[in-house]
Amino acid sequence: MADITDIQNEFIRQEIEEYIERVDEREKIIALYSKTSPDMQDIAAAIIDGQHETSDELTKTGLDAGISALQIMDDGLIAGMAIVGIKFRENFIFVPEVLACARAMKAGMKHIEPILSASGIEPVGKVIMGTVKGDLHDIGKNLCIMMLRGSGFEVIDLGVDTSADDFIEAVEEHEANIVGMSALLTTTMPNMGRTIEAFIDADLRDDVKVMVGGAPVTPEFADDMGADAYGANAVECVDIAKRLSGVTA
Amino acid sequence: MEKIEPAEYEQRLNKLGEIFSNIARHADHQALMRCPYKNRHNECTAQFGCRFQKKPQGDGKLLLCTSDDKLDYRNAWEAGAEDYERMRENLRSQSGAGSGQTAGPGNINHAAAEAPSLVGKTIFDFADEFQVRVPTSCGRTGVCHECIVEIKRGHMALNERTEAEGFLGSDYRLACQAVVTDAAQDVEFALLRRNPRILLPGDSTTDQLDPLVTRQGDLVLYRDSDGDQPLDQYRGQMYGLAIDLGTTTVVLELVDLETGRSLYVASFENPQRFGGSDVMNRISYDAGPYAGEMHRSIINTLNTEIQQMCAALGIERHVIYEIVVAGNSTMRELLFNLDVQSIGQKPYKSLVEHEYLAGKRGSTALLEFARKLRIRANKNARIWGAPLIASHVGGDIVADLVAIDAASHDELMMLVDVGTNTEVVLGTKDHLVTASCPAGPAFEGGLVTYGMPGCDGAIESIWRAGDGFDYRTIGDVPPSGICGSGLIQLMAELRRHEMMTPKGVFANKAREFLLVPDREISISRQDASHLAQAKAASYCGQVILMRYLGVQPQDIQHLYLAGGFANYVQTEDAIEIGFMAPVHDDRIVKVGNAAARGARQMLVSRSTRDRIAQLISTIEHVELETTSDFFEIFVEGCQFKPMDLEKLG
Repeated sequence: MADITDIQNEFIRQEIEEYIERVDEREKIIALYSKTSPDMQDIAAAIIDGQHETSDELTKTGLDAGISALQIMDDGLIAGMAIVGIKFRENFIFVPEVLACARAMKAGMKHIEPILSASGIEPVGKVIMGTVKGDLHDIGKNLCIMMLRGSGFEVIDLGVDTSADDFIEAVEEHEANIVGMSALLTTTMPNMGRTIEAFIDADLRDDVKVMVGGAPVTPEFADDMGADAYGANAVECVDIAKRLSGVTA
Repeated sequence: MEKIEPAEYEQRLNKLGEIFSNIARHADHQALMRCPYKNRHNECTAQFGCRFQKKPQGDGKLLLCTSDDKLDYRNAWEAGAEDYERMRENLRSQSGAGSGQTAGPGNINHAAAEAPSLVGKTIFDFADEFQVRVPTSCGRTGVCHECIVEIKRGHMALNERTEAEGFLGSDYRLACQAVVTDAAQDVEFALLRRNPRILLPGDSTTDQLDPLVTRQGDLVLYRDSDGDQPLDQYRGQMYGLAIDLGTTTVVLELVDLETGRSLYVASFENPQRFGGSDVMNRISYDAGPYAGEMHRSIINTLNTEIQQMCAALGIERHVIYEIVVAGNSTMRELLFNLDVQSIGQKPYKSLVEHEYLAGKRGSTALLEFARKLRIRANKNARIWGAPLIASHVGGDIVADLVAIDAASHDELMMLVDVGTNTEVVLGTKDHLVTASCPAGPAFEGGLVTYGMPGCDGAIESIWRAGDGFDYRTIGDVPPSGICGSGLIQLMAELRRHEMMTPKGVFANKAREFLLVPDREISISRQDASHLAQAKAASYCGQVILMRYLGVQPQDIQHLYLAGGFANYVQTEDAIEIGFMAPVHDDRIVKVGNAAARGARQMLVSRSTRDRIAQLISTIEHVELETTSDFFEIFVEGCQFKPMDLEKLG
C-alpha cells in the first residue's frame, strides 16, 4: 500500500496530514499522489494554495517539457482540486479560498485549451456571465462560472455592475450563445428584464439564450421577464446551460 | 502538438464535475450560516459595503468581518437591509403560490416569532425564516442528528417520524425531517441548544501556570506518566480547552497555555436532553436500542462549537493540544464512550470507579487521544477527564473544590453545587464529606410548566406588587418563562404573602396563580410540588451531612453556592424556603460556574491536578439513601420553610 512518505512534495504531505481525516479518503488521496511526479505535485500544490501565477507557469513548463495534457490534468489540476474539495467540505477553507483555487486551475487550463481545440474538442458552449447593473454581489455568479468552466464551457466573466450595453457588446464580440445574469437585490432584479429588452432592441434576442439566477429571483419572475431559464444554484446552472446549448435534452 | 481523445477528455470533465458539484452543494448549505464572502481569516472579500465590516490594523489588508454568524448576514449588506425583508416576503409568497398551497390558518411558533403554517415546509425552513440558527452539519439530510428540536405542541400537524428520527423520544424531532402536513394546526417548537447565560470565569492570570503541554524549542510536548511525549511542531500558539460538562449546561473555555489567558468562552445546552433531563434517564436511554447516540450528540456539538470558536478567533484547531473535562460521572463516561450502566444501579459507581476500588487503576482520571473520541483538535491532542470522588459525585465537584481552593480550608466550609443533581461537600481540608442528591431538572427549566434555563427572556427575579407580580427578565426582553433564581424567589414570595402554605397548598384552593397575564405565564400546584421535591434533595444533602459531622449552620464559616443560577439567587429567599442552610449572609459566597473555573485551573496546572488528587482521595462519601431516616428528612425537606435542625436532633 502507498504511504504518505511516498509523496515527495512536503506541502502536499502537510495538507494531507492536516486536513484529510477520513481514512478511506486519505488512502485514496495518498494512492493518487504517490504515483505522481514532483513536477505534477508542484502544480497541484499551486492549485491548493490558490497561486494562479505559479500554476500558469508550471503548466506551461510541463507542456513544453513534453508532459501530456491529460497527465497534467489528472496529476496536477484535478488532483489539486480534489484536496480543495475536501478542505472546503470540512470547513477548513471557505468560498473565497475555493474561488482562488478555481482561478489557479483555470490559469493552468488556459494552456491546455489550444491542445483541446487542435484535437477537435471545442467548448460545450460559450457563456457570458455578469451581475446586472447596480448590483455588486458576485459570489453566487462566481461559483456558477467555476462550475461552468469545470464542465467544459468557455465563460466570459463581465464581473459586477454590468450594464445592458456591456452585455450586448460581449455577445457580439465573443459570439456567445448563452447569457447568464445574476442579481441579489429586489431593486436591481428588474435590470435583468431591461437587459433582455435591450437585446430585443439590438436585434440579438434570437441569437442568445438567457438564463437568470440570484436569491430573490424565482422561476415565475424569470418567466415574466422573458428569460429562457432560471437556475436556483450553481449545479442547476450547469444543467441549464447544457440544455440551452443543446448538449442535453 | 499532441492529440487528445474526446472520450478521455470527457472522463476528466466528469471527475471535475463531481468535485465542483460537491463544492457548489456545500456552498449552498454553508451560505445558510456563514457569509460566503468571508474567507478563512474572517476577512471580507465583498466589493460592497456591509455593517459587519471593520477596518483592519495595518494597511493594505482586507476589511475584517465582525459577524458572529448567528443571524442572517444578508441583513447587514448595504442596500439590502429593507429590500431584503421585502425580498423574503416575496419569496415566501412565491413559494406558497408555487406549490399550490395556501398558508395557515395554523401558525408555526418559536419563542416570540410566529409565521403562518404551510404544508410541505420543514421546521428547519421556519427556523430559517425566524432567523434562528439550528445546528447541522450534514446538509439537512437527517444524518448528523444535530438539528434536534423540541415540539412543544402540534405533533399531529407534522409528518410521521422518518427512519432517521428513530432514536428520538416522543417530544423531539429533527428539524430537517419534520414537515408540516396539516397547516390548520399550530405548531410550537424550541431549539434544544440554546445559549444559557453563564458567569464568565474571572480573570485567569492569577492561576498557577505549569501546564502539561510545554514547548522545547520548536517542539510541543505533553507530559504524561511516561515523561514528555512529542505532540507537534510549534505553530506559534499552544492552546487548551477547559470544558465544564454539565447535565444541562456545557461551558467551554479556550485558554492560552503559554500565558494562562482566557481567549474565548462559549456555553450551550447539553444536546443530550432528548435522552432525558437527568443522568438516570440518560443512563437508561443509553441501554436501549440507540446506545451511543448520547456520546455522538455531545461529540458532534463540541466539534461544531470548536469549529465556530476557531472561525471566530481566526485560529486553526491544530493549536489545541489538551482538553480538560470536568463533568459528573455519567457525563464524563458518556463523553469518553464508556459503558454507564453500572452508574444507574446500586452502588451507583462507574466502571472506572469499580476498577479503581479493585486496585486495577491508580486514579479515576481518564486520559485519551482526543482524536480517538473524534474530537477535532490537534491530531495528537490529549483529553483528560478530571477524576471523580465517588458514585455520582464527579469531576465537576472536583473542579468546584479546585476553584474554591478547598485544599487550604482550615475552617468549616460547605459547598452546595445546585444542578440537575445537587452535590454537597462539608468539612475542613482534613476531613471532607460529600453527598449527591438527585434534584431533577425543576430548577433548571424542566418539569415546571413555564420553567426555562437562564437564557434571554427568562424571569430571573419576581416579586409581589399590588394584586399581581412585577418581574425582571434576562436580557430585558419580554418574558417567556422563569429560571431557577426566579422560581426560588417566587416560592419565597408566595410564602411571605401567605399565598401558599409550607406544604405547597395555594391559598383559596387556587390551582394556579397567573404571574404575567399578557403572556399567560403561570405557576401551578403541580409545579410547586416538583419544586418542593427538587428543593428537598438539596435540603437532604445539607442536613444529613451536617448531622453526620455534628455541626450546626452557624458553625459554617464559608458557604459556597455554585451552579449556573446560584449567583442570581437571593440568599434570603433560598433560606426562607429551606433550600439552603441558614448561614449568615456575609459567610455566603456565590461562586457561579465554579466548575468551569476549576476546569481551567486544572488545564493550566499540573501541580493543581496533583494537589486535588491528594485531597479527593481523603473525601468520605455518604450515601443518602442508606441513611435510616432518609424518607422522614426528605418529607420534611419538601416543605417550603427554613431548615430546622433542632427537630431532627
